[in-house]
Amino acid sequence: MDLFEAVKNRRSIRRYKPDPVDDKKIEAILEAGRWAPSWGNSQCWRFIVVRDTKLRAQIADTLKKIKLPDKELPNPAAGAMNTVPVVIVVCARIGKAGAGHGAPGSKPEYVTDKGDWFMFDTALAVQNMVLAAHAQGLGTVIIGAFDAARVEKILDVPEGYRAVTLFPLGVPEHEGKAPPRKELSEIVFKDKFVK
Amino acid sequence: MDIFEAIKNRRSIRHYKPDPVDDKTVEKVLEAAHWAPSWGNQQCWRFIVVRDPKSKSDIADTLNKVMVDNELVENASAGAIRHAPVLIVICAEKSQAGRSADGALCNEKGEYWYMFDIALAVQNLTLAAHALGLGTVIVGGFNATKVEKILGVTGDCTVVTMTPLGIPATRGQVSPRKKLSEVIFMEKF
Repeated sequence: MDLFEAVKNRRSIRRYKPDPVDDKKIEAILEAGRWAPSWGNSQCWRFIVVRDTKLRAQIADTLKKIKLPDKELPNPAAGAMNTVPVVIVVCARIGKAGAGHGAPGSKPEYVTDKGDWFMFDTALAVQNMVLAAHAQGLGTVIIGAFDAARVEKILDVPEGYRAVTLFPLGVPEHEGKAPPRKELSEIVFKDKFVK
Repeated sequence: MDIFEAIKNRRSIRHYKPDPVDDKTVEKVLEAAHWAPSWGNQQCWRFIVVRDPKSKSDIADTLNKVMVDNELVENASAGAIRHAPVLIVICAEKSQAGRSADGALCNEKGEYWYMFDIALAVQNLTLAAHALGLGTVIVGGFNATKVEKILGVTGDCTVVTMTPLGIPATRGQVSPRKKLSEVIFMEKF
């Protein structure tokens, strides 16, 4: 699929068919993630491929509920986690991205005011992955609002690593809508930032 | 260009030709960035297209020096910023991503979720540039406060990252990747 087509037509998909997903497609998606650039080529990303029904249900349970004045609704993506055959959990090694080269074993010294760049570098990989999924006819929705500490426990994520984000991977049941984008003039400035 | 080809063949480019890049091409690249998904569709990204040579040079001066043979030398990306015709500076509105509708932080990463959303857009940007025959290199090691001053970035906005945009003068090297088995786990970590 053409790059610009993939970039423009990828949607966040929240309803899926239960159809299986070919291992080769999953591999191509992980491979795409791995080709992202990273801080000093530190590649802090780690990907967990979760197929186990019970594990997926436990992870789905950690998603943030939607609070209404009188009740709580399940996160619309939680159902998706139980329908799809696969969930990809993206973790990061802490203390690598955004850090200078200290002596081995020494505490990381972050070199910018942004501290650890693990959020940035994992997202570069995630964007490659959601595009690679879309190009193969698969849907994704990037989930951030979940209890990471619980997911880390469920998946035995060791100390020094954090669960950052996760996404279901499956055959879309619907086309997905394009949420409106701001006008380019609202977000692009020439030479100076002018509010 | 095929998406997988773009993903696998994009390289970080640190040497550029001085050839111009027109506004339409820059717009195509930024439009691709803008199509990235974002937390609650907040689109916290802001792009500053810097063509002014003085501003580019002042910004290049803010890059962290690198240690080579016990000597601090200029980062190769600083020269790239001076030589490439365009520098894209990417800023974030800090308090939009990572929050629920009432503005409360959604989890322990909410405060810096903008770093995540910015990178989603930046990866679209680097891929789109590559597909158009242009090079990029994502630069993070610089003094953001100084760049904010140079470009007049104020308020809730912070400068996160930047990339020169231009015709590559070199092909760029493949950085070796960890083995798949080092980064991929089945069912549990």
